[in-house]
Amino acid sequence: MSIHIQNLSKSYDGRHQVLKNVSLDIPDGELVALLGPSGGGKTTLLRSIAGLEVPDSGQILFRGVDATRQRPQERGVGFVFQHYALFRHLTVFENIAFGLRVKPRTQRLPEERIRAAVEELLHLIQLDWISGRYPDELSGGQRQRVALARALAPKPTFLLLDEPFGALDTRVRKELRRWLRQLHDELEMTSIFVTHDQEEALELADRVVVMMDGNVAQTGTPDEVYDHPSSPEVYQFLGDVNLFRGRVASGSFLHQPHSPENTATATAFVRPHELEVDRFPATETSVPAVVLHAYAVGPKVRVELRHRDSGQLIEAELTRDRHRNLGLAAGDPVWVTPKSLRVFQDGQEVAI
Amino acid sequence: MRAGAKRIQNDPWWLRAGAIGFTLLFLGIAVLLPLTAVFVEAFSKGVSGWWAAVSDPDTVSAVKMTLLAALGAVPLNTAFGVAAAWLVTKHRFPGRHVLVSLIDLPFSVSPVIAGLVFVLLFGAQGTFGPWLLAHDIHILFAWPSLILATAFVTFPFVARELIPVMEEMGTQNEEAAVMLGAGGWTVFRKITLPGIRWGLLYGVILCNARAMGEFGAVSVVSGHIRGETNTLPLQAEILYNDYNFTGAFAVASLLTLLAGATVVLKLWLERKIAR
Repeated sequence: MSIHIQNLSKSYDGRHQVLKNVSLDIPDGELVALLGPSGGGKTTLLRSIAGLEVPDSGQILFRGVDATRQRPQERGVGFVFQHYALFRHLTVFENIAFGLRVKPRTQRLPEERIRAAVEELLHLIQLDWISGRYPDELSGGQRQRVALARALAPKPTFLLLDEPFGALDTRVRKELRRWLRQLHDELEMTSIFVTHDQEEALELADRVVVMMDGNVAQTGTPDEVYDHPSSPEVYQFLGDVNLFRGRVASGSFLHQPHSPENTATATAFVRPHELEVDRFPATETSVPAVVLHAYAVGPKVRVELRHRDSGQLIEAELTRDRHRNLGLAAGDPVWVTPKSLRVFQDGQEVAI
Repeated sequence: MRAGAKRIQNDPWWLRAGAIGFTLLFLGIAVLLPLTAVFVEAFSKGVSGWWAAVSDPDTVSAVKMTLLAALGAVPLNTAFGVAAAWLVTKHRFPGRHVLVSLIDLPFSVSPVIAGLVFVLLFGAQGTFGPWLLAHDIHILFAWPSLILATAFVTFPFVARELIPVMEEMGTQNEEAAVMLGAGGWTVFRKITLPGIRWGLLYGVILCNARAMGEFGAVSVVSGHIRGETNTLPLQAEILYNDYNFTGAFAVASLLTLLAGATVVLKLWLERKIAR
């Protein structure tokens, strides 16, 4: 295991606990996303790995070596800040060269080697032509790339990125994501990035670590995390989901929208694309609903429905073809059938 | 004025004229008139008279003492101001607000009181007086007390100027430099200092202006020894009390020229910062 985090805890002002006994393993060469709502502790965890925060207790090991008390300079970590933190008084060239120039005299490369290394990085980020500019003269996407090149210059073993695409528009964000993925694979690093954007995490990462309320809620591949969320909270955080209240009886879920408060209830989670919409009940688990509204999102059509008995809102996602064949209009009575569903009772998953 | 660019405020003409008139009148009475008087009086016996007063050995000595006091106090307060501003803005620790208030203290203490404090500390009857006397170290009524008193009075200038600048800078740039492998001193030299350089220069200029013009505190600790511990402001007062008006105003004209140079420097810097 390349980065091993063990029982890490951290609180601010001795009261607000941001990290609660976090343990985590990050294998060599992976691109890992720390995903979660804001205030979940993901940035604090990232900064602790970098050495910018000192944990109250716990250990951080880099390739088996205890780094908990190491200075940030000694950790071999490159860090890309959320707002880039480029040095405004230095040109793009000197920003990237910074990490090479501040090395102790004995380890420092001769000037021409530094220049060559910076040229190579400039070429890598495809910004050779702006090497003489100052950060204030760059666009957001360019700044981001310069920040990345600067972090890469000292050849770090680990690359940490705090909300790397947060401040960019959608098109640039997509492009830079692809580019980061490519860079990570080429340079054979271990990279960790923080994000609150689930799409970004699922698309980019080899492994997703979901952090909530100072804890690691779940770790897994994007598919595992998306298809098998470990708790109702993770389920709700990762994408849109429909909740059906009901009861578990003899291994199957009974939808009971009006179940009395005091009976043991269970909650079923169904994603919009896991719902089938028909003109007639497909199975005995089908739910009667009325179409409220339908709108196209790219290749999909989102249909908003209302449960005919309870009035609960239901969201379904159909392909354009399916939507056309059904010929749905607002007010149409339909039947909604879950193709798959996952049931949680008292925070525990129940096999159906 | 172009037809399209209509003024937003439409105060009546008499209000505008009144405000402008009052400002100019007050500026004339309070600033321009006295300044002119200084030079008129200083040159009342011609350039040769002015030169004779300025080249008087006691006055030359006063120029030296003023420069010495500033040369001692300004670097001290620059170093302290940078350190204090850095401590207060980049770190969070208990007692931080108390420290900020302490930095401002000399602004609210009368300079005369400041001078008296040094007399109480280093005077013959003072706390350290007997020990200093026994070791033949002269602080009071000698140049070290001039520097100390000047330093006390000009203590807040650099720190006050830097605290907002550093506050705005934040800590991310320094953190970025640390993550790139830079040690503490390198971070300060290559990142912090370039970020605060204009604010720092501004603070140093203000500090210097105040240091050269200081009267109250220096007056208490200097002992008014002519040709030895008198600074320019003290020398001007002594000459005036001697009814040597030409001499007094000649010295005053030197101080005014210093002030003028400071204003020019300040203007130049402000335009530089604005850009």
